[in-house]
Amino acid sequence: MSYPPQPTLPWSTAGQGPVTYDAYSLPVNDNVNPYAFSVELNGSYFLQKGKMVAYYGDISFQGVGHGALDRLLGQQFNSPLHASDWVVAQGRGKMVLADRAFDLNSYDLDQGNLTVRSGNLLAFEPTLALKQSIIPGFLTLLGTGKFVAASNGPVHFMEPPVRVDPQALVGWADCPAPCHHYDHHYMQGVLGGLRRLTGLGGASGEEHQFEFVGAGQVLLQSSEALMPERSVGQVDAEPGVPGGGLPQQGYQGGHQGGGQQLPNLQVPGLGNLGDLGRRFGL
Amino acid sequence: MAQFRLQGSRVLAVDLAGDAVKARNGSMVAYTGQMTFKKLSGGGDGLRGMVTRRLTGEQMTVMEVQGKGTCFFAAQATEINLVRLNGETLFVEADNLLCTEAGLRTGTTFTGLNGMASGDGLFTTKVEGSGWAAVTSNGPAVILRVSQGMPLRVDPGAYVAHTGNLNRSLKSGAGWTTLMGEGGGEAVQAEFTGEGLVYVQPSEKITFGGDV
Repeated sequence: MSYPPQPTLPWSTAGQGPVTYDAYSLPVNDNVNPYAFSVELNGSYFLQKGKMVAYYGDISFQGVGHGALDRLLGQQFNSPLHASDWVVAQGRGKMVLADRAFDLNSYDLDQGNLTVRSGNLLAFEPTLALKQSIIPGFLTLLGTGKFVAASNGPVHFMEPPVRVDPQALVGWADCPAPCHHYDHHYMQGVLGGLRRLTGLGGASGEEHQFEFVGAGQVLLQSSEALMPERSVGQVDAEPGVPGGGLPQQGYQGGHQGGGQQLPNLQVPGLGNLGDLGRRFGL
Repeated sequence: MAQFRLQGSRVLAVDLAGDAVKARNGSMVAYTGQMTFKKLSGGGDGLRGMVTRRLTGEQMTVMEVQGKGTCFFAAQATEINLVRLNGETLFVEADNLLCTEAGLRTGTTFTGLNGMASGDGLFTTKVEGSGWAAVTSNGPAVILRVSQGMPLRVDPGAYVAHTGNLNRSLKSGAGWTTLMGEGGGEAVQAEFTGEGLVYVQPSEKITFGGDV
């Protein structure tokens, strides 16, 4: 993992003029400023739809699913479920990427793996393979190469063991998947049970965390405002596949920054009463 | 002679010594010294400009700020880019123009169908003369140079402004796959050729061609 460059002010306020770039002076596969990333393209690159803001040279953009790209996709794009959100840029030139003025960082993977929230991943080199994580709403990148991810505020790296707020989590590298952690105290007693069933009262909003253990790194953004989720599609219903056959709108979908952190709220069809329903054999 | 400087990257500070600047109505956040604020009707281009702006939809409510001291301007925490004009022309969307020195002439110009398809409207604002202008952008603008043999293509939603002698034309990246919902996401692009600078913001406005 390489650490992202330190954000700097776009240009100094005194005297000298603003920095201008042309096709030669644009950085090669590096940040132009904390919010824009320049890619030197010679071949192909995967990017999320609509994230190109400008380019020099001869570049074409084709939707994933295009016939001519079948071979490339078969090798590197193993997540066909959300293919309509992705585009392949092909050609030669320099391309500037940006996403709603969010912070962008590039990361180098060296025979590694990194799992990232689907809405945060912006672009990646075709030497990496993209797969859908078994954790709903996350994507996993495998192999060697560079990718670009967006975050709301600069990214911080944490070493496990660590517990993180679900809304601040951007992704994790080289470490086992997170588990849910609920503060024990919160679940205790009659009041705890009532809270759990009704979601009423007493919650500080921080009772639920993601816990990471093992060796690796956890990536956090410096705000709790989630990036808009990208649908990762529907997994086929199959025994043993988490979330299989159900709409992929887990804890992170549809509750943008709403502080919705209570358990058992998202059982489809039963809503809040999921636990109760199971107890009574419904 | 008004002095333009940035206070941080999102606040514009203008030092005035009895002279005047034109700024977007309501964009003053603080001032020191003595200032008077006078609303200018019709973008401050006089009667003819007023009618043109009304007709073209490139509307701009502008005030004239005059006095002695320092006046601070900001617009919804957007980043501010200072542009120094030495007789060149700055083309900018009215929404992105924050402040100009009083000596600069502003007006509207026809961009043709290019503007319409990209959602920027048929007209754009033109700033001419010598002096400072402040342009806002969502995220710090990246300034890209266009020269002979080095054309630039820009997503219309990320375009903010340009200076110099540039031709703007609309290019379509759409093919038959776009109709089938498998487009490249960049169906409409603005191509700039000639000599000049293009200001591009690291974010995209919602435009007609944005999601195709």
